[in-house]
Amino acid sequence: MSSFSRSAQQWATFARSWFLIDARMQPPGKIASVCSVRLQGKHKPIYHPLSDIGDHVVVMNTRHIAFSGNKWEQKVYSSHTGYPGSFKQLTAAQMHKKDPTAIIKLAVYGMLPKNLTRRTMMQRLHLFPDDVLPDDILRNLTEELPQPREIPRKLSEYTQEERDAFPMLWTPPEDYRMK
Amino acid sequence: MTARGTPSRFLQSVLHNGVGRYVCQLKRISLIFSKKGQGSLGVRDFIEEGVVDFAKNNPGTVVYISPQSCRIPKIVAEYLNGNVKEETVTNKTSQEIVELITKLSNQSGLDIIRIRKPFHTDSPSIQGQWHPFTNRPPSIDPVGPQAK
Repeated sequence: MSSFSRSAQQWATFARSWFLIDARMQPPGKIASVCSVRLQGKHKPIYHPLSDIGDHVVVMNTRHIAFSGNKWEQKVYSSHTGYPGSFKQLTAAQMHKKDPTAIIKLAVYGMLPKNLTRRTMMQRLHLFPDDVLPDDILRNLTEELPQPREIPRKLSEYTQEERDAFPMLWTPPEDYRMK
Repeated sequence: MTARGTPSRFLQSVLHNGVGRYVCQLKRISLIFSKKGQGSLGVRDFIEEGVVDFAKNNPGTVVYISPQSCRIPKIVAEYLNGNVKEETVTNKTSQEIVELITKLSNQSGLDIIRIRKPFHTDSPSIQGQWHPFTNRPPSIDPVGPQAK
């Protein structure tokens, strides 16, 4: 790389990458924080807030995000257009049904710096509800980011040998009745 | 005027002067004065006393003395990179002219304009400048949903 000319080295250092992240079974807040770091360019040692060196982030499977707790029913997204009588409140479940990408979009929007560069960074965020991506975006992808949350396995995904090998604290007798 | 409206340059030295031998960048210095005018009094005093010592101390610089009928005495300094600097020395004392001439001989010929950065290096990076693939582990599988 040291054999590059000055202009080629500059072009390489300031190149914009495309990242892919799969949001299946992930909490949208964790996905959003990873996205906001990459959109601002904070993962680069050449970061400066004025430099506009953020990368593109493509999020797929936003329809299959997983809120923890009861947030699907309890988290409320409010909006007001300014006209009287137009205060709308939607639960996360209703919002997600109306638009499967809106939750992650709002989460990333809230995590970016509140200045004029935020809109440009949001333009570089690409959200897709399923894992069908258009060709031109597929061709640009350079790296897949690891998922922030480790997905726990369902009981049906464990083999019988693993289930037998799991240590039991005590073995109940044959006629023990579980409540 | 603002810094944007005036010219500016980067810090540099003429042909890495000083790394090896130091070469005095002043090529030629011409003293234009008049033999009788009162503004050239300082120049005439300088020629009487100081110019020979200056010429002896700077063997690489050619000193031209040209008495002409002129109203304002001038010192014209020409440098090795082609720049020409003219200074008027009307009503200056001999001491001031000595200082002016030493200043001109210490300058390189580069323009006296705003220097953008007070540092410059030919090797800006030792370990190699960062690029997005510096610390990225290489992946053989294509990136995308088909890879799942």
